[in-house]
Formats: sequence, C-alpha cells, structure tokens
Amino acid sequence: MRSYIVKRLLLMVPTFFGISLVVFVVMNLAPGHPGGTQLASDLAASVRGADTQESHRIFREQFGLDRPVLFNTYIWLERAEVEDVLLAMAGRDGATSADRLHAQEQIEDWGRFAVPHLVAVMQSPPDPLIRDLAVYGLRLAARQPLLDPFASNPSPELRAENQRRRAENDRLRKLRYPLDAPEEEKRVVVGAWSEWFEEAAGRFERTDGERAGIFFFETRFARYWANLARLDFGVSLVTREPVLATLLEKLRYSLSLSLTSLLLGYLVSIPIGIHSAVHKDSFGDRSTTVTLFMLYSLPSFFVGTLLLFWFSEGSTIPWMRWFPIGGWRSPDALGMTTLAQIGDVAWHLVLPVLCMTYGSFAALSRYMRTGLLGVIHSDYVRTARAKGLPERQVIFTHAVRNGLLPVITLLAGLLPAILGGSVIIEVIFDIPGMGRWLIESIYQRDYNVIMSVQLISTLLVLFGILLSDLGYALVDPRIRYQ
Amino acid sequence: MNVPDTDRQSYWGVVRGQFNKNRPAVWGLWCAVGLFALATGAPLLALDQPFFWQTSDETRFPFFAALFNRLQFENGVDIFFNLLLLLSPFYAGFVAWKRRKGGLGLRAATGLVAFHLFATLLVVPASWLGVSNPFHREAPIVDYRGQQAELLAADQSVTAVFPPRRIHYRETNPERSVQAPGRTFWLGTDLEGRDVLVRMLYGTRISLTIGVVAVAIYVWIGVVLGALAGYFGGWVDVVVSRLVEVMICIPSFFLILTLVALVQDRSIFHVMVIIGVTSWTGVARLVRAEFLQQRELEYTLAARALGLPRWRVIFRHILPNAMGPVLVSATFGIASAILTESGLAFLGLGDLSVPSWGGTLNAGRLEMKLWLILAPGLAIFFVVSVFNLVGEGLRDALDPKLRT
Repeated sequence: MRSYIVKRLLLMVPTFFGISLVVFVVMNLAPGHPGGTQLASDLAASVRGADTQESHRIFREQFGLDRPVLFNTYIWLERAEVEDVLLAMAGRDGATSADRLHAQEQIEDWGRFAVPHLVAVMQSPPDPLIRDLAVYGLRLAARQPLLDPFASNPSPELRAENQRRRAENDRLRKLRYPLDAPEEEKRVVVGAWSEWFEEAAGRFERTDGERAGIFFFETRFARYWANLARLDFGVSLVTREPVLATLLEKLRYSLSLSLTSLLLGYLVSIPIGIHSAVHKDSFGDRSTTVTLFMLYSLPSFFVGTLLLFWFSEGSTIPWMRWFPIGGWRSPDALGMTTLAQIGDVAWHLVLPVLCMTYGSFAALSRYMRTGLLGVIHSDYVRTARAKGLPERQVIFTHAVRNGLLPVITLLAGLLPAILGGSVIIEVIFDIPGMGRWLIESIYQRDYNVIMSVQLISTLLVLFGILLSDLGYALVDPRIRYQ
Repeated sequence: MNVPDTDRQSYWGVVRGQFNKNRPAVWGLWCAVGLFALATGAPLLALDQPFFWQTSDETRFPFFAALFNRLQFENGVDIFFNLLLLLSPFYAGFVAWKRRKGGLGLRAATGLVAFHLFATLLVVPASWLGVSNPFHREAPIVDYRGQQAELLAADQSVTAVFPPRRIHYRETNPERSVQAPGRTFWLGTDLEGRDVLVRMLYGTRISLTIGVVAVAIYVWIGVVLGALAGYFGGWVDVVVSRLVEVMICIPSFFLILTLVALVQDRSIFHVMVIIGVTSWTGVARLVRAEFLQQRELEYTLAARALGLPRWRVIFRHILPNAMGPVLVSATFGIASAILTESGLAFLGLGDLSVPSWGGTLNAGRLEMKLWLILAPGLAIFFVVSVFNLVGEGLRDALDPKLRT
C-alpha cells in the first residue's frame, strides 16, 4: 500500500507538469498585458521618463516577461529582423509612437542576442539614421543584468561581479551622441562601440550545447518552473506581495467551504440513496428522485441569489431575516469568545454551504442508489439473507460496502466541479476565498495569481483523485494495489 | 447495399421505442422542440416593426426588412434564427415532400442543417467584411409606433399590424428603469428600462445556440481524438490519454473563466468556442472506451479484410456503433453548457450585447429585485431540466440495464 502511494505521488509530478504547461501556454498566448490593459500600458509607456523606463525594464526582467514563452528562438535571430525593427524605430512606413515603443521594447527583450547584429548594422548601415538608431539600440541591448539582484547576503565574488557589471553598464550608457551631433563625434562613439565588441565578442559566441540549453531553458516557462520547484509562486503584480502567503490564507476559506459541503453532501445523500434503493419504486423513492432531479437542474447562482433575497438580513420579509447578508464573520467577531466566533462563522456559512451542496445531492444519491441496486440482487447478498442475518445487517454490512464503490469514484469528478463552482458562491456571498480572488485577479490581469490559483486547485484535485482511489481499496478488499 | 429486411426493427428503432415509453422524456423532447420554435419565432411575438403598414399614400411590409437590418439584428445568432424564420416554410415543404417519398433520412436532415448554416455564413461574414449585402444591410430604423400615434392623433387613416409586443429587446428607456411587473410590462423592466419578457424570449436563442454549438464543437474534438486513440492504441493512445488526464484535473470553470476574461472584444461565439475546447475530455474517454471494444469485433475485422481505407473503417463502420453514449453525454452537455454560459454572464463575463439570461439575473442580484431574479432563473432552470430529462430518457433507452 505504501509503495503504491509513493508511486502515485511520483506519477503526480509529470501530470502536474503537464497541467502547468497547459495553463501556462493558455495564459501566455492570451492577448493583453500583465499588470493592466494594453491601453494602460501604452499610455504608461508614452509618459515614461528615463528613470521609469529603467524600472519598467527591471519589472519585465523580474517577471521574465522579456523572454519567449516556451522555446527561446532568439538564438536564430537574423540581421534582417533587427534591421526591420530599427526601421520601425525610425518611424518609417507610417509607424506610430506606440509602434516605436514596441520596437524599442523588442530590442530590449532580444538583449544580448541582438548585439552582434546591431554592431554589424552599425558598421555597415544602409543609411546614417539607421546607424544612429543601431547605436541607440546597442545601449539598450548591451546592458548586462545583475546576477541575483535581490540576494539577501551575496558572496564576495557575486558582489565583485555585479560591481564589474554595473561599472560596465555605466560606461556603455555614456557611449552615445545626440542625433544632431557632428559627424566626427559620432564616429568616435561608433569606434568605441566596435572596440568594446571586439573585446567582448567571446560573450556572444555559443556552442551548440549552449544554444540547446538556451533554446529550452531561457524561457518564461523554464523560469516559472525553476521558481515553482522552490515553492516560489512569485509576487502579485498588483499588490507586490508574495502570492503563496495570500494563497494559503484564501485557501483556508475556500477549503472549509468546499470540504464542509462535500462532507455534508456525502452524509445526506448516502442515506437517501440507500433508502431509495431498498424501497425501490415506493412513493418515497419516486418523490426523492423527482425532487433531486429538480434540484440538480437549478443553477446555484439562482438559488444563492434567491436565498439571499429571502433569508438574509436584506430580506423584504421582516420575519425571515435569519442569516447575514454575506461575508465570513461579523465585523465585531474579534471581541467574541472562541466558541462564539465559531458559531458566528457557522452562522455565516449556512447559506453558502447549502447553495454549494444541494447540487451534489442528486448525483451522489443517484450513484449510491444505482450502486446498491447493482449488488442487492447478487449471490452473496442472497447468501447473507439465506443465513438468516437480519435485513439491517444484510444491507448495511454486506451490500452497502460494495454499493459504495461508484460513490467513491465520484469524489474525483465532484472535486473540480465544487472548486469551480466556488467562484460563483464566493462572489454571491462575499466570501474572501480563492474563487473570488481569482475573479478579481482576472479583472486586474494579475498573471501570477491566476496561475497559482489554477495550479493549487489542480493540485487539490490530484490529491482528491488519489484519495478516492485509496478509499476504493479501503472499501473493496478485492482491490490490492501493487 | 440491398439487404432483404427480415427484421424491420433497426437498433435505433428499438431505441426510439424505448424512449417513447418514457413519458417525461418525451415531454422534455417536445418542450425542447417548442423552445426551438419559440427562439425562431421570437420576432413574430416581439418586434417594434409592423408586419403590415398602410396609410393613405403607401403600403409597406417593414417587418421582413427589419429581420435583416444590421441596426436591428447584428448578431450571428439572431441572423441564424431570422433566416430560419424566413426559410422555415420552404424547409417544412422539403421535409413534407421527403416524407411522402419515404421518410426523411439522416443524410437529408444533415444536408438541411448544413444548407442553413451555409446560408447564415453567407449572410453574416459578408457584412463583417463590409461587402454591401442585400440580405444584411444597414437601413435607418423607422419609428412606426410613433408615426402611428401621430397619424391617429391627426385623424388620418392608418392600418398597422404589429407583433403582439411592439418592442425591440434592446430598446432602452431610462424613464421606466426597474419597473415592477405590471399591465404593460408583464415581467417588469431592467435597469436600462428594457422589457424583461422580451429579453427572456430572445435569450432563448442565445441559450439554445450556446448549448448546441459548444457541444457540437467538443463532441467533434472528443470523437476524433477518442476514435484515434481507441483505434490505433500505442503512442497515439498514450498522448491522448495523458492529455485527457491533465485536462480533467483542471477545474474547467476556472479555465473557462480565465480564457473568456482574457479575450478582448469577446462575443458570444468566443464563449461557445472556449466552452467547446475545454470540455471535450468526457466524450473522448467514452469514444475511446467504445473503440477499444468495437475494434476487436468481427464486423471491424470484416471491414478491414475488405481492404477499406482506415478512415472509412473508423468513421463509417465503428463510429456509428459507438455514438450511443456520446449522444447521451451530448444531451446532458447542452444543459451544462447553458449553465456555464449563464454563470459567466452572471459574473459579468459574458457578451454584454446579447440578451443573456445570466446577465439579467446578475442585474437582479445587484438591484435585489425579485422579478429580475425569478424570470431568468426559472428560464434557465426550465431549459436545463428539459435537456436533462431528454438526456435521462436517452440514457435509459440506450442501455436498459442502467435503468434503475
């Protein structure tokens, strides 16, 4: 059994990798910019000064936005592509200022991959303006990023290397000239750049092995995974706080909500299912089947809104104002005793849990009923009866155990549905859980948060599936996992 | 091939017989047909343009032009149903003629649907491209209601035959914002002063289209992937099964939510496609399991021994035998796709330009007005239970063992 669990846990790793790949690709291929809409970032770019330009750059590097998504194809950058972008920067062919900014950003993203081409363009330019722009581009592209800039206690070597890089960056930044500078001055600067490139040329030559490494690993995805492996879910792009801490806090709300409703669902529907199966085709069976069918078709957001309308403090009917209008606890809850606090939270949870649970009643009790009906006529149940066991014992110890199998399998399917449904419930009842956080982050394009919420919820589902398989073994002694 | 009929009852004949015994399911099917008719005939019941307009100096039929006026109906869904409304007499005639000649086969029915889709596609994208299009033009909207009132006030003769509700589903009026149900507005008005009843009526179009199109997309993806995985096995199977495993673990509502929110200028068709591409795993698993079974059977061997091309064996011989469970899951899928779309609209993530029931419900939640909650909620409930009923009936009819 233990080896089986270990094997399953290990198998989870590739599945989780696949999930993160799917979610990552989806997130990154979707249009729109992180940290605000496209329009907002364009506006911000157009008013950006030199300093904010720098911090924007650091922002992009910090979140890996300067890298390609899955595969780094910058290693095959051609001179012609660089020249096209320089042309766009020059504002030819009816380019707008936004186009120019994008061109500039493109060169910055290419960074060191564009340097040799920029030098080549600079040395043999198609026309003088392009040469000037190539020099400008070189200043952007040749900058070396600092190594591990946020390390808490950097080693002396690291500090020395960063010192050297900073000095070089400062020196390179000064290698420029205004567009209207005399030709001799321009030549001096171009000469200085050529000299620098001859010295540093080794930095831009790569072996095939290095190329392959860059192709696969210098990407946003590889970087994200490197961080994930260290349990670093990144920083919220909006609040700039670590995602993990907030996530754990939100998870508390969502998990208590969904686990309560899951537990309640099983506790209520298994007896209903058993009753329906034992008294098949009785009036009770028929009426529960119809009722549960109707409950199953009722959308939860409709029921939730109605419950709020009738039974909350905002209700129009005075004597039905039984429950709070939403939220997790009363505003004055902190002054209460522990017991009173628990009671307060429970009082707040009645309506949302009800709303989350009723839908699973139908599926669960139906599966229970079908499962039990499947075994109730089997030989071993007849044997148990023939031995003269009381009916109660026949049903509850002999039949139900096998009848439970389909209900346990359903756990795996129910979990994603309940987690997904939590978004709507949390929005209606104003619960600060994971689902509502997801929706808010989606509105704000907070990519790190969206990714983390999706990954954590799939992780929960993976564990749920494992749990249901283990439950299977527990109930059915015929199943032995090897 | 002409095989002498020894046993006239085919497999689907038996299924139909079983289905017809299930009363609630048959009602459900009729309700679904009725909803479809309601969606098609919505303009007959509510539109601000008269069928017939006669004054002392002119006679007009503005209704039919309005159906294809881009200022009245610009959405593809509306065009589909308006065209269906216009062509339905011809279609009815075609079906009657076919039946007299010996029954409407699956092929003729598919052809009819394909023809209508093609016709819709001819009308809509042409106007997207800015091609001047006689079927979908832009003409100023004439206020016939106002004119009629003016003419009557001036004591001139005017004959106008309007639909029962003389109102367009998009017509706003800030003066009658959030009115309770009453004599003029049977189901009240929403925040913008639009008639809730009319929006419910036109919302049927959106819901039915969402359900059918999203399900069609994912059944298609699921059938192709599942069939390939089940028939070929080996690495194809490994790849598809892993992909299914991965997709199943992601709470699909989260994924749909994210995708929908990230699409800029989303339309109702984006929502359909997104629901379609995220929900195919169930169908793929079903089809794969069926294919694993069917490919070992003798008729498959016979088909292969005849030297038929592989795609023919897969799609013409095995697939029809594997479609039963898919049909059941597709029917339930329509219900859940409708639920998903209204959930999205409820969260404010739908297409705001269409009269989605979920959107009205959201307004009801924000305004806390009972009529804005009950009307769309019950409408969603009704449609969802109709398709669930039909699905249950189909399931019981296809597999009597499962009937409990």
